[in-house]
Amino acid sequence: MTRMSSFRMSAWGWLAFALVPLIPLPSVAEGAAAAPVLQGETCSVPGLMDQIRRGLASKSPAYQRYLRALLREAAVTLPGAELQAAFERETDPVMAEHLAAALVARSEREADREAMQVVAKRALEDRDPAVRSATVRAMRRTGALEKTGDLYERLMRDASPEVRMEAATNLVEDNKFVYAGQHGPATDTAVAAAAASSDPKATAKILGTLNTEKLGAEAAGTLQGLLRSDSAEVRRSAALALGGVPAEQMGTAREALVSLYRGERDTGVRKALVQGIAQLGFASAVPELQRLKGIDPGMAPEIDAWIRALETGLQEWELILREKQRLQQAP
Amino acid sequence: MRYMTKASLAALALLPLVATAHTVKSPFPGTVTATTNYSSGKFHGAVDISSGRCNYWGAETGVVGSVFWNVTVRTPGVYCNGTGSGTQNEAKHVWESGWTFRQWHFIKTADSYDRTCDRCQVGNEGGTGNASGPHAHLQQDKAGTNDTSWYSGYTTKGEAVDRTETVGVLD
Ligand SMILES: [Zn+2]
Repeated sequence: MTRMSSFRMSAWGWLAFALVPLIPLPSVAEGAAAAPVLQGETCSVPGLMDQIRRGLASKSPAYQRYLRALLREAAVTLPGAELQAAFERETDPVMAEHLAAALVARSEREADREAMQVVAKRALEDRDPAVRSATVRAMRRTGALEKTGDLYERLMRDASPEVRMEAATNLVEDNKFVYAGQHGPATDTAVAAAAASSDPKATAKILGTLNTEKLGAEAAGTLQGLLRSDSAEVRRSAALALGGVPAEQMGTAREALVSLYRGERDTGVRKALVQGIAQLGFASAVPELQRLKGIDPGMAPEIDAWIRALETGLQEWELILREKQRLQQAP
Repeated sequence: MRYMTKASLAALALLPLVATAHTVKSPFPGTVTATTNYSSGKFHGAVDISSGRCNYWGAETGVVGSVFWNVTVRTPGVYCNGTGSGTQNEAKHVWESGWTFRQWHFIKTADSYDRTCDRCQVGNEGGTGNASGPHAHLQQDKAGTNDTSWYSGYTTKGEAVDRTETVGVLD
């Protein structure tokens, strides 16, 4: 394959070049067609900013992704101080997000590890919630949570619900795509942020799909505390998260779920508790589930479906989950 | 504005198409010395890249995009020609699918520690573990089976590569 001489080009020139729809790029055809023809000078930062702004007028998601990818590659060769100054001056959320993404890329490429802090600071302190949201998005699917201390706990207390949900989305996507649930400290950071939140929707968003197989003991205790939340959606998501904890925490998690079940009134939460208990025990959970059937006869069909799914002896949770859904769809 | 090659443009155009896929670049400039089979015919199931220079600066994680790297130092010290099977220094990333991408044999440096990054240094080119000379071994595996499809069609033995060269795509 030919080497990419493009990396030796001026990054600004390269970026500007990317906005020129001269070459047929199949994946960005729609965006490229809508993108403006390159005009004016591109060698200065202000000139380039102008070009990016015009390029961003394209509404094509594919084109936006393309631009983001180019920015990330170009970021390492950009003049850091100038880029940072441009980001700090920028008040348009869309533009700020792209400049922040370039700073984040410099940090992730280890061209300037501290660049992440500039973005994190603005995510916390900007007066405009749209800019705070945009800078939070710029840190998505990166190692931001390793470098920013209690940033996510603080973001969960942001006055803007949009910022809180963007931060929650970062924790969900980072744990899924950057860590694949395999890095305990990242899981624990997500749980700490979920617990620090006073927004039940954001907490539920974080915990509802969190892979907790590497969860630490302290975070497991935090999750158990969330089972006593006033919010049903928080209790529900905490129950689901507790279903996946590592072996050494399974015993206390099961006790917590069972004891909550006895006093729980909300059907959605009860279903999540049963699911958590099933996931913690697999086939060995069947006797416990049998006992719980007597507490609320209305839950019997749900519990029976779990028992039948668990009794298949399947050894993978995803398969048991699917089997249980199948049993309920075709009784 | 300088001339941009057609191939590099094509490579860039691919980026948005494979938003969830991860391109793999060479960890350092060198030559691909083995892929699916060694010259002996013995199965290898991975990509070996060597510059021939031991303790050469900067064995970079080749995966494009931010992912968490679990770095295991089994053999500290400068070793160029092997320290025995199973003793290699390793940087690995486990994907959600359960597949694991591994990079082996580097020499421990101050950069050999766990973290998330997008193509960062984790050591110097070396020969820790089962190696007859300094090189990087790039492998994707699950349950003891090596994936050979991620690099097939992207690189072959004898190809000269640098840090911008795509040697494969993981998805
Ligand atoms: Zn090898």
